[in-house]
Amino acid sequence: MCKTRLRLAMIAASVARATSPGAAGEAVVLPSFVEETASAGIDSVYSGGWEYIVGGGVTTFDCDDDGFPDMLLAGGETTARFYRNASPVAGALRFEAAPSGLELDKVTGAYPFDVDSDGVTDLVLLRVGENVAMRGLGGCRFERANEAWGFDGGDAWSTALAATWERGADWPTVAVGNYIDRREDLFPWGSCTDNWLHRPIADSPTARSFAPPTPLMPSFCALSMLFTDWNGSGAPSLRISNDREYYKGGQEQLWRLDAGLPPALYTDADGWKPLRIWGMGIASYDLDSDGYAEYFLTSMADNKLQSLAGMPQSGPVAPTYADVAFARGVTAHRPYTGGEVKPSTAWHAQFEDVNNDGLVDLFIAKGNVAEMPDFATNDPNNLLLQSPDGKFREAGEAAGVASLRPARGAALVDFNLDGLPDLVVVNRGEGAQLWRNTTPNAGGWIDVRLRQPGPNPDAVGAWIEVRRGAALMRREITVGGGHAGGQTGWRHFGLGKSTEARIRVVWPDGAASAWQRVGGDAHYVLERGQPARPWAPD
Amino acid sequence: MMTLRHAVASVAVAATVFLGAPGALRAQTASVGPVEVLDTSYRLLLELVRHTPTYSPPVASRAIAYIGVTAFEAVAAGSDSLRSLAGQLNGLDPVPQREPGRTYDDGLVLQAAMAVALRGFFQNTGPTGQRAMAAVESKLRAEAAAGLRSDVVVRSEALGREVAEHILAWSHGDGGAVIVNMGFPLEHILTQGEAHWVPTSLIVQQQLPLLPGWGGNRTFAMPDAAACDLPPPPDYSEDPTSEFYGEALEVVEMQANLTPEQRAIARFWSDDPMLTATPPGHWVSIAQQILERDDAALDRRVDVLARLGVAQADAFVACWKTKFEYDLLRPVTYIRRLIDPKWEPVLTTPPFPEYPSGHSAQSAAAAAVLTDLLGENFAFEDATPAADGLPPRAFASFQAAAEEAGLSRLYGGIHFRSAIERGQEQGRCVAAYVNALRTRR
Repeated sequence: MCKTRLRLAMIAASVARATSPGAAGEAVVLPSFVEETASAGIDSVYSGGWEYIVGGGVTTFDCDDDGFPDMLLAGGETTARFYRNASPVAGALRFEAAPSGLELDKVTGAYPFDVDSDGVTDLVLLRVGENVAMRGLGGCRFERANEAWGFDGGDAWSTALAATWERGADWPTVAVGNYIDRREDLFPWGSCTDNWLHRPIADSPTARSFAPPTPLMPSFCALSMLFTDWNGSGAPSLRISNDREYYKGGQEQLWRLDAGLPPALYTDADGWKPLRIWGMGIASYDLDSDGYAEYFLTSMADNKLQSLAGMPQSGPVAPTYADVAFARGVTAHRPYTGGEVKPSTAWHAQFEDVNNDGLVDLFIAKGNVAEMPDFATNDPNNLLLQSPDGKFREAGEAAGVASLRPARGAALVDFNLDGLPDLVVVNRGEGAQLWRNTTPNAGGWIDVRLRQPGPNPDAVGAWIEVRRGAALMRREITVGGGHAGGQTGWRHFGLGKSTEARIRVVWPDGAASAWQRVGGDAHYVLERGQPARPWAPD
Repeated sequence: MMTLRHAVASVAVAATVFLGAPGALRAQTASVGPVEVLDTSYRLLLELVRHTPTYSPPVASRAIAYIGVTAFEAVAAGSDSLRSLAGQLNGLDPVPQREPGRTYDDGLVLQAAMAVALRGFFQNTGPTGQRAMAAVESKLRAEAAAGLRSDVVVRSEALGREVAEHILAWSHGDGGAVIVNMGFPLEHILTQGEAHWVPTSLIVQQQLPLLPGWGGNRTFAMPDAAACDLPPPPDYSEDPTSEFYGEALEVVEMQANLTPEQRAIARFWSDDPMLTATPPGHWVSIAQQILERDDAALDRRVDVLARLGVAQADAFVACWKTKFEYDLLRPVTYIRRLIDPKWEPVLTTPPFPEYPSGHSAQSAAAAAVLTDLLGENFAFEDATPAADGLPPRAFASFQAAAEEAGLSRLYGGIHFRSAIERGQEQGRCVAAYVNALRTRR
């Protein structure tokens, strides 16, 4: 479909305008999703026993260079399923299961990034057993690269991953989070396997290989990791969300990672306050446009939304966070439908603007761990819409995504390139689900993709800033977070009623591009040093 | 006590190998005896308390008490020295006994009883807890049954199960068997007035207080929850010259001048639910360390653990009755309102009324029972929070430990002094009833 047809589709889709009054009295665009799992050809199940009570990640990436996100769904004991995106622009979602080389068993999740900076997305598969780095060959084919890249896959119950390029490095640094010692039958508690830090081989900065991993001790059963520049220092730190069910003496963690130095934990002395939750997923976004990201942490019962509170009059920013989940209406602690009042269990979380009103919304995948009778069995996924007052309000049922299946990983990704993020959710022991976003009255949007020459071509660690009027939206390009899966490719911004926006990129090395004006309802490739380049599918 | 433990070989093998050997006595040495069964079961119990989300301290104390009674009765049934608690504990009818002249194995009776009890009280634990229970049960059963004659195995396991099921059935009617929403009511009317408890947490679930009806539960050894009622706390006042204000000011000043030692004490006894085995689990751990250190005999162990459990459970019932009778606000609420709006306690304020201090009440009860059983000035070292990276602490007596546990709540900024001191009074009152139990023939 050509760009003109795409625009026509956009116009047609926005003819019908339907709004609902928000609690604050302002009109909130009510999103609408239609489930297309079966018709799209999705038939994947994340299955397995105790070793698969966690995991079940969704990974999206474009491996055939057509601009449409393809995806890998973790399969647990059975093989992971790769699906090539065959959706028409703005049309019904359609996928084709295709052999890719990624079809390994015991996969809990995967994260996509261009490890070797060759312009083709690679993946690291997290597994119960050996983790496997898979080099992208193009054409949605992948091959094992552990040996070629010196990547030691180990033998653990791996459940989290984050990656970054440390300053001056040609090769990424990868953190792998591990869970319980699965061989501890009698007393598994307190048996958290060490997390691993895979840094570039040290004796040659330009070497294209990983050094043997170093343990990140202490480790507390990580279920989500994220390299993030939380303080604007230009050196991302490693945030780890840990499952208190299994650690002893543990807490949430933030590791300082300065190039060439061993990792060091932020402590009480730095202003880091202990937080102990059933940490399962991390979502980040600069919700208040203050230059620092907020972090949503999924857990059981109440979830957390951390906002930086350690900003002194002068001097360095302290890693002190206040929990603003209650104030902003994102505790999401209990099912809102399904007939149960027991506490919820939250996994993947992701901020995206699903109705393009210019305010990012929050999706949370929910599902009982496995026959935990004190927690809800019928635990609907949340879709929390942000209102102009900054509070979030539940719209999962009205939007049509309140599935009661036991969810784990998920992704909000625009599969049909119509400017509306679609939704895929992996469920444990039941079929994955796919919804097309059909919101009839959505606002404007832009989707952007970063490119820079040399290492780290996708600009992991950059910040994209979009202005429309007085409003500023900021998001960091990261590899990690969520629950056991992540996305690469287009980054989405809703524009509300604006028909254009100004955009700039703060590149990973801190250099900021000039502000550029771009029209709405379009895709752009932002290549370093170049004007924004409109893109449309062939 | 009739046991058949004939050492023939040193290597244990699965019990099933021998179950079909008629007339055989123990063919090989058991790799686990009743003491090990008890210790391993209690280790698992404390982990399950730590890892089962409904197990707040009161709920933990209840399960610990019933499981302690289960172990006691399973051993007492074959003991010449122990006397059943049936007829002494409220509502406990005579417990199934051994058939005269028949052979039983103590370890297997105890193993079967503990397995049923753990499964019964932790049926709601998560998949890892279920898996661990199954693994421990399987391992202990195989080892306890190794080399036993099949009829002894069948008879011993049946008795153990019957004892545990008897205790479980008894437990169901005490008012504390069903825990909904992790103990937080879905509806509850907060007492109006400045003096009364208001939520102190930003966790939505904790906007209503934990287990407001727990004080209505059946008690174990004390006649009823009112048997150890307390006088009211100091009169609520916002007058800076009042006793109440003075106690609040003491919390503020104490925390402002906290020594490293006092801070360490606050952490040591913090015993947070879902991160530790809770305060009653802490005292069980103390008892276990001492019993292990002194290589105590089985009858001593079950006596200590049963009475300790009962005392703590009754202390929580009495304490909760008083808490909701006076429904007093927490220091953080009062201090922020009247003294320092930005004040933060060292410890997380628990989500229920302040007066009296639960940890103080149950620690005092535990100390009084352990003193009665093991003696005055019984010195010991406690390494319970070692796994959390905290160093052990040494105590000259159980009383000294209980006093420190109480003060830890003042250091932590979550209790006024009156709640601690009167909570300790309440605990000692409860212990007197437990110490009046006759556990020996």
